[in-house]
Amino acid sequence: MSGEVSRQMSHVSEGSAMGSDGNSSEDLDEDDYYMDNYDDLDLDCPSKADDPEYFEYEPLQVIDAERMLNEEIETLCTTLKVNPSTAKMLLFGHNWNKEEIIDNYQRDPQGFLIESNLASRRKPDRLVGAKPVCSVCCREVNPDRFLSVACGHMFCRECWDMHFQTQIQDGITTGIECMAKECSILVPEDFVYEILTQPKLRDKYSKFSFNDLIKSHPRLRFCPGIDCAVIIKAKECKAKKVECEACGAVYCFKCGLNYHAPTDCAVVKKWLTKCEDDSETANYISAHTKDCPRCHVCIEKNGGCNHMQCPSCKCDFCWMCLGDWNNHGSEYYECSRYKENPNIAHESMHVQAREALKKYLFYYGRWENHARSLQLEEITRENIQTRTQKKVMNNEGTWIDWQYLFHAVALLKKCRYTLQYTYPYAYYMDKGSRKELFEYQQSQLESEVENLSWKVERAEIVDRGELENQMDIAEKRRQTLLKDFLEV
Amino acid sequence: MAGLPRRIIKETQRLMAEPVSGITAVPDEHNSRYFHVVVAGPSQSPYEGGLFKLELFLPEEYPMSAPKVRFMTKIYHPNIDKLGRICLDILKDKWSPALQIRTVLLSIQALLSAPNPDDPLDNNVADHWKTNEKSAIEQARQWTQQYAKASINNH
Repeated sequence: MSGEVSRQMSHVSEGSAMGSDGNSSEDLDEDDYYMDNYDDLDLDCPSKADDPEYFEYEPLQVIDAERMLNEEIETLCTTLKVNPSTAKMLLFGHNWNKEEIIDNYQRDPQGFLIESNLASRRKPDRLVGAKPVCSVCCREVNPDRFLSVACGHMFCRECWDMHFQTQIQDGITTGIECMAKECSILVPEDFVYEILTQPKLRDKYSKFSFNDLIKSHPRLRFCPGIDCAVIIKAKECKAKKVECEACGAVYCFKCGLNYHAPTDCAVVKKWLTKCEDDSETANYISAHTKDCPRCHVCIEKNGGCNHMQCPSCKCDFCWMCLGDWNNHGSEYYECSRYKENPNIAHESMHVQAREALKKYLFYYGRWENHARSLQLEEITRENIQTRTQKKVMNNEGTWIDWQYLFHAVALLKKCRYTLQYTYPYAYYMDKGSRKELFEYQQSQLESEVENLSWKVERAEIVDRGELENQMDIAEKRRQTLLKDFLEV
Repeated sequence: MAGLPRRIIKETQRLMAEPVSGITAVPDEHNSRYFHVVVAGPSQSPYEGGLFKLELFLPEEYPMSAPKVRFMTKIYHPNIDKLGRICLDILKDKWSPALQIRTVLLSIQALLSAPNPDDPLDNNVADHWKTNEKSAIEQARQWTQQYAKASINNH
C-alpha cells in the first residue's frame, strides 16, 4: 500500500465517522481537495511522478516483518545453498544487498565467506591428551566438550555458554565474535542456540538479533513513535516523509528524525545539535513579546500569523522585521533574507564572531518562530472545531459544509512546516545565485503562508473562494520550492 | 581461595612464579580478585625511572569481561585521565576471554612507551602532545619525577 492510498483510505473512514475525529482531517491533502472540487477545471494536480514528496511505504507488524526477513533469507539459502544462519549473517553484513552477495559468492565462495568473517583459512586447533585444558577456564575437559566456530579455535562448551551470556547481557547478538584474541570470526545463530542454555537469554538473543536485522535493513525502520510497534517498509531508503497510521508520528524514513524537507538528513542533524548548544542564548535574545513599532505598546503573539495588528493603535506590521505590513506584499523578500555584512573579511575576530552569532540568531529566530506558530495554529484548529460544532448544532450548515476550514488549517500547517525547515537549509547554504534563488522562493512561500494564516484566523469573515484560492497559491509555492531544492 | 575460578588461581600462580619484567602484580590479602600492581616506566620514555601504582580488579564475569584497571599514581599521558582511567581497546570492545592479566599489563606498559594522542582520553594533554610534543614530553618527565617516585615511598 502506498502513502497515497493510505491517505485516501483515511479520507473515506473520516467520511463515515463524520466528525467524531477531528484529527483525521489533517490527513487530507491538497490532492484530494483538487480531486473533490476542481475535476472539471482541469487544473494540473500533481501526479505521483512529479510530486517531490511522493514516497511508497507500508506499515508492517512485527510478525509480517519477520516473515519478510525470513523470505529474503530463504531465497539466499536456496540460491547459494548455504544454511539459514550463514545467509542471515551475509545479509546482515552486506546491507541486505542480495545481488551483490550472490555475485561475490559465486565468484569466490571461500574468499567471500572469509571476507565476511564467516570462514577462515586457519587450521583447527588440535586437542592434545585425554583431558585437554580449555585456555579460557584452565580446567581439564573431555575432548567431546570442545567446540569451535569457523576459525577452529577450540573452547569448552561451558566457556562458550558464559561468553554468550555476557555478550547478550551487553546487547550484542549478531556481532558476537570468537573468544580467541584478535579473532573476528562471527558466531552464527545456530551455534549460539545449540549452546545457550538459559531460556530467558535465548529469548533475549532472538529479540535483540531481530532488532539488529531490522536496523541493518535499508528498507525497514522501526517507527520512532513512543511505544509504537510498527515497522515501516519502504520501496527505497530515501529521506522522505512517513506518517505512521498507528501512532501518528511523522518522520523522515532515512534518519528517523522529524521530517525535514527541503533540508537533508546530515544538515538537519547538524542544525539541531547547534540549536541544542546555542539555544539558551537564542532564547534569551528572542523574547516572546515585542513592542509595537509605532505606539510601543507591548504585544504578546497569540496566533500563528506574522501579520500583526496592534490592538491599541491598529497599525499593521510584520512580527519578524517590525516593518510596515503594507509594504510587505512586494518587499517580503527583505524579511526572510539575512543581509550579510559585506566587509566581514576585513573585520576583527571579535566582530566576525558577533556577526556569526547574529547570522545564527537570524535563522534560529525564524525557525523557532515558525515552530511556535505551528503550535498556535493547532489552537486555531481547535477553535474552529468548537465554532463549527456550534454552527452545526444551530443548523448553520452541515459538518460537511464546514470541512473546507479544516482542509485550510491542515494545508496551512503543512506549508508552514516546510517553511520552518527551509531555515536550516538556507543557513548552511553557500552564498551565490542558488542561495538567492532559494531565498527568493522561501520568501514567496513565507508571504503566502502568512496570507493564508491571516485568512484562516478570520475564516468566517473571509469568502470561501478567496480562502481556497489562497490555499492553492500557498501549496503551489511549497511544491515549487521542493521541486527545485528537495533531492529526489 | 575457596570459590575462586581455576582460571584466576592459575593466572595468579603464574604471575608469582614467572613475573613479567618491569611489572609486579600481587593479589590483595583479603580479596583475591583485587591486585596491587606496580609498573616501571619503560626506558627511553618520559616515564623512565618512575614506578607507577595501579589497581586491577577481576569482575564476577572475568574472563568473559575485561579486568578493571586504573592508575593510582598521577601520570601525564594523553590516554590516561585525571582519575587514572585508561583508554585501551583491549580493556573495552577488543577484550577477548583468551587475554590475561599478564597481557593486559604488558599492553599498558607498551602504552607508556607509545602514547597515542590521536585517540585521546584527556583532551588537554592530547592537544599539548599534538601541538608541542617536546614540551609535553618534558611535562610528563617532570610529573614522573614529582609523583612516580614519591608515591611508592609514601604508600
